[in-house]
Amino acid sequence: MGLSKIRQIEAHDDSELSFPPEGDAKPYEVFIQLNRGQPHVHSGTVDAVDGKMALSYAKKHFGRDQECVHMWVVPREAMISTNYDGEIIWPLTDQGYRLVRGYAIDVRRKWERFRDQEELDRYQDDDIKEMF
Amino acid sequence: MSAGVTTAVELKMDWEIQEDPQRTADFQARIDAKGLIEVDDWMPHNYRVGMLRMCEHHANSEIVGALPEGEWITRAPSLLRKLALIAKVQDEVGHGQMLYHVCQDLGKPRDQMLRDLCTGKTKYHNVFNYPAPTWADVAMIQWLVDGAAILNQKSLAEGSYGPYVRTMKRINMEEAFHFKSGEDMVLTLMSGTPRQKKMAQEAFDRWWAPCLMFFGPPDSDSTKTGPFMTWRIKTKTNDTLRQTYVDRFAPAAKALGLIIHVAHKDKDGMVAIKPDGNPDMVVDEQIQFDEESGHWGFTQPDWDEFFRVIKGNGPCNKQRVALRRFSHEQGHWVRQAVMGSAGLPPSAN
Repeated sequence: MGLSKIRQIEAHDDSELSFPPEGDAKPYEVFIQLNRGQPHVHSGTVDAVDGKMALSYAKKHFGRDQECVHMWVVPREAMISTNYDGEIIWPLTDQGYRLVRGYAIDVRRKWERFRDQEELDRYQDDDIKEMF
Repeated sequence: MSAGVTTAVELKMDWEIQEDPQRTADFQARIDAKGLIEVDDWMPHNYRVGMLRMCEHHANSEIVGALPEGEWITRAPSLLRKLALIAKVQDEVGHGQMLYHVCQDLGKPRDQMLRDLCTGKTKYHNVFNYPAPTWADVAMIQWLVDGAAILNQKSLAEGSYGPYVRTMKRINMEEAFHFKSGEDMVLTLMSGTPRQKKMAQEAFDRWWAPCLMFFGPPDSDSTKTGPFMTWRIKTKTNDTLRQTYVDRFAPAAKALGLIIHVAHKDKDGMVAIKPDGNPDMVVDEQIQFDEESGHWGFTQPDWDEFFRVIKGNGPCNKQRVALRRFSHEQGHWVRQAVMGSAGLPPSAN
């Protein structure tokens, strides 16, 4: 049995390689946009020596198996992030005053003094729902 | 760019290690609550090493797995099959790249991983130490081996390490096409001429047992299963996955007219021939559906063979590693050039 010759003639050798390690390239984070107008979403990482090479790898890697209209690559060293342990981003105090739902019940109760139930239900159907 | 500063990293399991009890408890609580661990999170040393080892083994397997299939690209029987096979092999190498990345972030340089694979310090999946002498082997690999891989990877996608879990989900999405294309090839062969059917049956006889071994040794012999399950590095035991696999593939094979044999193999991974000239195999009588348990029975593969092959004495171990080493050596000047360390000007930034 045997297909191409190269698979047979290369001798097996467990010794150390004769050349030193070349070192690793830099990691670049890849963000892809599936449709115009949508946000870019983190999709993975590629290793490259420069932005051009990173973009070319990213296109092959993350742009082939789905429709994709736009792509960013960012050197990881340029990204500054929070950390899960020490930092709280979303404050734990009540933030109701900045949310629709923080007002919904009060506003409804206050309206009831001015309008009847049916009219109010109809009004609420058209009202803004859960948004910022 | 820090070319050449890569040093060997010794990341070893250490069961004597004293971890911070509070942090360990918080860590376990997050895992028990089905939470994910991220790269910058604190993690116990053995979790890091265990995750790294498993992921590196997986990455190596993707790269080496491309070798037995890659050699069939030039011999694919139609343009459609050729295109599909090229795409599949490209996917596998891409999976290797993604997984090496997960490992790099856990602390081992990629450079070191590629070198360790070439010098036999790290292993890859046992199943790739078997030969693919016919086109039907390519079909069986895509159906049986990729089928096993998807089953395994689906369970790994429910694990606890975020970067690995996300990579698994992406890989599974791509593996799905490999499996379907394999199914299509097996169906084509089994709808074909008696010669095609015979070729498919012979390939099936070569791959069935290695696929049962794919899920690893029986739980009773698997030392890592315990802690790995607690940390959700693994989510299902080897035996559970193996049974699920047989429940799916035994009836499918039967429906296609493939016979499940217990076969003895020679050193080349081919079904051995008895002195009377007949192949040394018998029908596996255990392949029966058991109404009571709701599972299919099967004969356990030859576990002595499994451990022999893992130790480097399988039919193709030496060939596969030698080819990988050959490619790595041939690529030395290219890597030097792109890293700007060959006296050539470095790239733009």
